[in-house]
Amino acid sequence: MTEYNKMAKGSFTSTGAAKVITLPFTPDRIRLTNYTAAAAFTQHLIPEAWWDVQMGQGTGVCYYCDSSTPVLTSAVITSGGFSTFQGGLSQQFGAKQQISGITAANPAVVTTASAHGYSVGDTVVMQGLNQSSTTGMQQIAGIPFTITAVGSTTTFTIKWDTSGGNYTALSGSPTGAYVMKVLYPFLYVPQDNVVAFVTTGTTTTVATTMYHNFEIGQEIAFRIPTAWGTTQLNSLPNVVIPGSPVYGYVTSITDNWTFVCSINSTGYTAFNPNQVFANYSGEQFPQVLAVGDVNTGGLSISAGSALYPSPSFPTSTNRVSTINGPAIKGSFVNNTSQGFIIGTGNAVFQASADTSSHLVGANADVIYWEAFYDDVMLP
Amino acid sequence: MLILRDYIISAASSINAGGGNNGDNPTNLGVSDFSLVATTLDTNNAYKFMSGIEGMDRFGTGPVRSAYFMLSSTELQSDFDGLVGSGFISQWNYPTNSSALPSEYGSVFNIRILTSSEAPVARGASANGNDVYYNTVSGKQGLTHINQDGYSMNLIYRDPYYSGMLAQNATLAVKFAQAQALTQDTAVRNLLCTRLSNLGV
Repeated sequence: MTEYNKMAKGSFTSTGAAKVITLPFTPDRIRLTNYTAAAAFTQHLIPEAWWDVQMGQGTGVCYYCDSSTPVLTSAVITSGGFSTFQGGLSQQFGAKQQISGITAANPAVVTTASAHGYSVGDTVVMQGLNQSSTTGMQQIAGIPFTITAVGSTTTFTIKWDTSGGNYTALSGSPTGAYVMKVLYPFLYVPQDNVVAFVTTGTTTTVATTMYHNFEIGQEIAFRIPTAWGTTQLNSLPNVVIPGSPVYGYVTSITDNWTFVCSINSTGYTAFNPNQVFANYSGEQFPQVLAVGDVNTGGLSISAGSALYPSPSFPTSTNRVSTINGPAIKGSFVNNTSQGFIIGTGNAVFQASADTSSHLVGANADVIYWEAFYDDVMLP
Repeated sequence: MLILRDYIISAASSINAGGGNNGDNPTNLGVSDFSLVATTLDTNNAYKFMSGIEGMDRFGTGPVRSAYFMLSSTELQSDFDGLVGSGFISQWNYPTNSSALPSEYGSVFNIRILTSSEAPVARGASANGNDVYYNTVSGKQGLTHINQDGYSMNLIYRDPYYSGMLAQNATLAVKFAQAQALTQDTAVRNLLCTRLSNLGV
């Protein structure tokens, strides 16, 4: 019975944080060996663990060392254990978290009522940003933001200027004000982006609310609604040659949120993020996106580099390879993924959690894993 | 369009519905939203998929404009029904159904609506925390499939004995290599909306 079986194995060095393993399938059975823990064999360590889909998401079974005179004991993991994921099928979101406040500043800082658990690079959306029925920040509700900085366990910064007079700072945990993480925000890249600001000049500097994922040389188009000012950037309608889109090219990438494009925008109307609260219903967002069938050329090959490297995103720093094969640089790439997550959950022995034990191990632990998808699964 | 679903919602630009009256962002669909999207695509010189249907002397029917296709969620069907009399023509009110697709629900102005339970929905993602529906509208030149460099289609068949003495497993499959492409970004739009009607489910 091996016609449809799928098996995979691998290893990594733990950082102590939950580890995402991307696979070409979603496993129904996982086995983990912490080599470092097995060698050290001291209290709180989990040298071995495993999971079956029937145990439920976020769970597991393990052997762990339960006392200072180490005894290998069987235990369970009831939360923060193994879980699987499939990052396609439209947008998926994490748990809603109460927003306690947002500053009216540039950039805006969001405060959550409890520890948010987010990191720089996580993408979130917010909703219900009403300080009163007529004031607040509903103008930015529904916009996806990739977090630019994490100030504390309850604060993070987004790429948006809320210092304008039409924004009222949020405070006191308004009812219905929530933030939630977009679990797999980049199903295809480069994706449609909301524009956060535009700096006009002989070249045009553009910041997006999410990682833009554009490459140098990328051909791009703008959709700037009238209320946002810089409508001259719009690719259509072209008043000079009707029906012929006006496109720009990315000439340099400042960071994962910001790039410079070739359009000479000297004299263009200033970009206006200070939108009116009362107009949020049906509000259109300014966008910049990659032009469809125009690509920028091959991947850069240098001595020692992979001959056919996978596309990697974001495009400035912290680039991570996708699971895809080679693609023309700048072309659209399917970035959906699946696999499993090894969590930071604790061993639970006789109904008591050992909070010093962690499934994913400690920083620098060497961990081996095996993942399976079985031919036949009986109840 | 269904095959390209995740691709379109990620890579094509969007228009938030504003013609509805539910106070959300995006709002529920109003007829002006259909008009806006069709006007945008017309201005961008997008090609329509379907020719119009001439009016006929049949009770309860009316002519249908030449149109783009829009893929929508079946959960919006009751909202479409709510637009009867405001511009929505149900598929069974077409003068003839000969050109209607099985999944076609009706049309509004220059847009013919196909519905599927697999159309994209972002649950609880609107400004007020309601579900956001991605209605993908495309002109003829907006999207394409590309059969990749000479990779021919394979029909795979393994008879039941291949897998074991009990002959329980057989394989019948088709394998082919295809890529999708946005061929013209100005000819594709995602019309985002929320819902007015309560599904009651």
